Amino acid sequence: MLNLPRWQTISIVTITLLAALLALPNLLPDRVMSVLPAWYQQTRINLGLDLRGGAHFLLEADLRGVMNERLTNLSDSVRAEMRKEQVALKSVDVDSGKAVVLVLRDEAQRPKALEGLRAIDPTLAVTGDGGTIRVAYADVDLVRKRKEVIDQSIEILRRRVDETGTIEPTIVRQGDDRILLQIPGIKDTTELKRKINQTAKLTFHLVDENVAATGQALPTALPPTTFLVPTREGMQSLRAADPKKFDEIMSANPRLTPEQICRRYQPQCLPVLKRVVVGGEDLDDAKSTFENQANGGRPIISFTFNAAGGRAFCAATRANIGKRLAIQLDSEIISAPVVQSAICGGSGIITGQFTTQQTQEQALLLRSGALPATLTIIEERTVGADLGADAIHSGTVAALVGTAFVILFMLISYGPVFGGFASLAMLVNMLLVFAGMSVLGASLTLPGIAGLVLTVGMSVDSNVLIYERVREERANGRSAFSALATGYEKALTAVIDSNLTALIAGVLLFGFGAGPIRGFATSLSLGLLTHLFTATIFTRMVLSIWVRWRRPTELPL
Amino acid sequence: MLWRAHHLINRRTTFDFLGKRRLALVASTIINVLSIVGVFTLGLNFGIDFEGGIAIQVRAKQGDIHLENLRTTTGDLGVGEVTLQEFGDNKSALIRVQRQEGNAQCVAHADKVMKKRAGNGWSVVPGDDDKTGDVTFTSPSALDSGGWRDAVSTVGLTLQDRQLPRGNVNSAKIEMTHEQRAEWCQQVAIKLVEDAIGGQYELRGTESVGPKIGEELMHSGVIAVLATLGAICVYVWVRFEWQFGVAALIALLHDVISTVGLFVVLHLDFSLTALAAVLTIAGYSINDTVVIFDRVRENMRRYRKMSLIELLNFSINETLARTLMTSGTVFVAVLALVLFGGPVLYSFSIAMLWGVVVGTYSSIWIASACLVYMKLRPEQFRGKAEDEKAKA
Repeated sequence: MLNLPRWQTISIVTITLLAALLALPNLLPDRVMSVLPAWYQQTRINLGLDLRGGAHFLLEADLRGVMNERLTNLSDSVRAEMRKEQVALKSVDVDSGKAVVLVLRDEAQRPKALEGLRAIDPTLAVTGDGGTIRVAYADVDLVRKRKEVIDQSIEILRRRVDETGTIEPTIVRQGDDRILLQIPGIKDTTELKRKINQTAKLTFHLVDENVAATGQALPTALPPTTFLVPTREGMQSLRAADPKKFDEIMSANPRLTPEQICRRYQPQCLPVLKRVVVGGEDLDDAKSTFENQANGGRPIISFTFNAAGGRAFCAATRANIGKRLAIQLDSEIISAPVVQSAICGGSGIITGQFTTQQTQEQALLLRSGALPATLTIIEERTVGADLGADAIHSGTVAALVGTAFVILFMLISYGPVFGGFASLAMLVNMLLVFAGMSVLGASLTLPGIAGLVLTVGMSVDSNVLIYERVREERANGRSAFSALATGYEKALTAVIDSNLTALIAGVLLFGFGAGPIRGFATSLSLGLLTHLFTATIFTRMVLSIWVRWRRPTELPL
Repeated sequence: MLWRAHHLINRRTTFDFLGKRRLALVASTIINVLSIVGVFTLGLNFGIDFEGGIAIQVRAKQGDIHLENLRTTTGDLGVGEVTLQEFGDNKSALIRVQRQEGNAQCVAHADKVMKKRAGNGWSVVPGDDDKTGDVTFTSPSALDSGGWRDAVSTVGLTLQDRQLPRGNVNSAKIEMTHEQRAEWCQQVAIKLVEDAIGGQYELRGTESVGPKIGEELMHSGVIAVLATLGAICVYVWVRFEWQFGVAALIALLHDVISTVGLFVVLHLDFSLTALAAVLTIAGYSINDTVVIFDRVRENMRRYRKMSLIELLNFSINETLARTLMTSGTVFVAVLALVLFGGPVLYSFSIAMLWGVVVGTYSSIWIASACLVYMKLRPEQFRGKAEDEKAKA
């Protein structure tokens, strides 16, 4: 039977209208859009880089290099520790990328050597027998380190790209050791590439407590040894309040000094002494960890200096207990903890009312001086904006002409009534695809447009199946009404089977593809999925309404 | 005239499709064998996606493009094989440069670019011996590490802090492996081409795919095709009988192989989009095949006395109108892509156009003929189908 329960008819109409509402922002001109609410403006399909122009990079982090560097450091500590424990060594070598190999002079010293290794790091994986010991980092540790390296690289890249003043960059991890960087609208990538590899400047400065004590936000007269630097919090609230102003600061050329930013834009700032206590190049590591349970077990940040940094830091903290020590990253102060006691011995902690998330972020920022691993560009694609505009133009023309061809074809073959129904179902299908892509925030690429055109061609298929079946049933002598009902029913399995098999190809293509191809797979698969809805339910509704209205005895088919 | 339905296909055709099955199989086998031979002898024209390399879209700043001039200029650069083609209109061209090997010649190119862009005082030479990929830069004046970073970025080299020299020096040895150098050389080649033609041509888009990623894409592309074919085959097997699954697989292989053959013959770019075309053709062709199979299954239940060949012929004739109609709609849609889709989509669209034709053909002849040769026994199938019906 063709008849649908009333509630189904209502829900189909609702879904279609909703889809139209969601797809609408893509068609409205910007002028109209700007007066509509923000959430509604955002339900728009993103254009892929190949259409809007921009740069796409795939960067590969040299994790092997990082690993070797770590192992070299480990072999240094092993040597030192063994000397301390008085274990005689024949050799200590780094087995590239894998482990540190120790050969003992005297096998009997093995237990003592193992104890020494445990003292360095209890989580190390120790294997080998007799006089040979292989020391490697545990698998868990390796996975954690890799993640850390990539996360840190992404954070640094984000800072660098933000500085160029570009909007909406996409920076995501891809696979084990890769980072995908997409920047819309950029044309010259030379400057960007230079920026990416620049090291952030991390320095420690004492806060000028005399100036700070006056309580003025923007002290008019500063001693020549002091300057103003905006705090990270200050910059972030400025960004939240007025993104345009933030972009203006970031893209200013020549770049603004911290003091200029403070004077002109008045974010929260701190007066600090110009003299650098310790430089970031002397900071070895910083990580988020927890206090002893006895002290409350709060999240804290712990950091380690190299020998030179440790000495300078020791002297500075000893002389300035109770004062604040500001940590400046580029032109922002990321934090200014109060010195509680002299910090000697090369490592210290920063405590405060932090959440774990905050300590992790702070540690990441402390580490974000230099990129932790060499990043090699293994794929680069840039598309000029005018080339993208050309692509949009030819894609739109092809899509419109294709749609017109198909509608014409259907009208000729099945007449104005049934051909019209098929065209209507196809147009509703396209509406659903647009709505789906808007909601998913999927990107429309040039191959994606090709996918849409294919969807147009393929989505009238179910109507063809049904109509041909109805013709057959009619030829077999059924009445008009009965032919419609049986034809529809019998065609249904073929409609579903053929769509699902085609969908398999689409989904696998999505899994395989990257960039533009993924756009193709998205629009094609989405088209097939929504088509299952229009083919089965929507067409049925249209036919049943028509039958009830016209009560046909003959089919114009 | 327009405002009534036209039956483009007669209501009841009675073509003896399977009577021609031997002819079809012989023809298809020849085409497929030739396609495979073609791939191995003539070779596929792999795009940079799979082979690695550089593709630059340029447009003449004034007047039309002179392919011959462009060919001489870029051919003399020594960056390996360069192919040119007009792209879209007669003002634009696509320059393709082969994957860079990262040999000493590339360092010489870097030297040339450096001298042109940063001044004649600069020099770039390979490290002491060419065992590693090391490169030594010499500057006319001493630079600190920040200065070095800026300087080497002139030739597209991006470095990490520990690779940079410390203190003020005027010579820096940059350590890298051969592989890393090969990736860098891609950047050098782009700059070299830019320097050579930048005066007369505007660079509209650049694509560079390093050697490593190309190999990986090739690998995962092959896996994607195999996985698609396998998954479709299994689906058909589960929904029908195993014979149908195998028949569908053979028809799909036929479509995929002959499409690849088309790429060889027309010397089309086999890129990621081409692979997408191959997979879509597989999806489209199976769509057709399934509709015919569905009818075969239905008729097997209905006409118990009919021989297999008769039954297949009957089913194909019954669904013929639909098959041709659907192919028709997809064909006209793809035709719009060929005519108006622009140069980027060209090889994709041509392949799809071919795929629509060959997919329809293979559904009728290859897939159905395979059922005959696999001795599908209708009795067995009917029994099972009725059991299912009884259960339901």
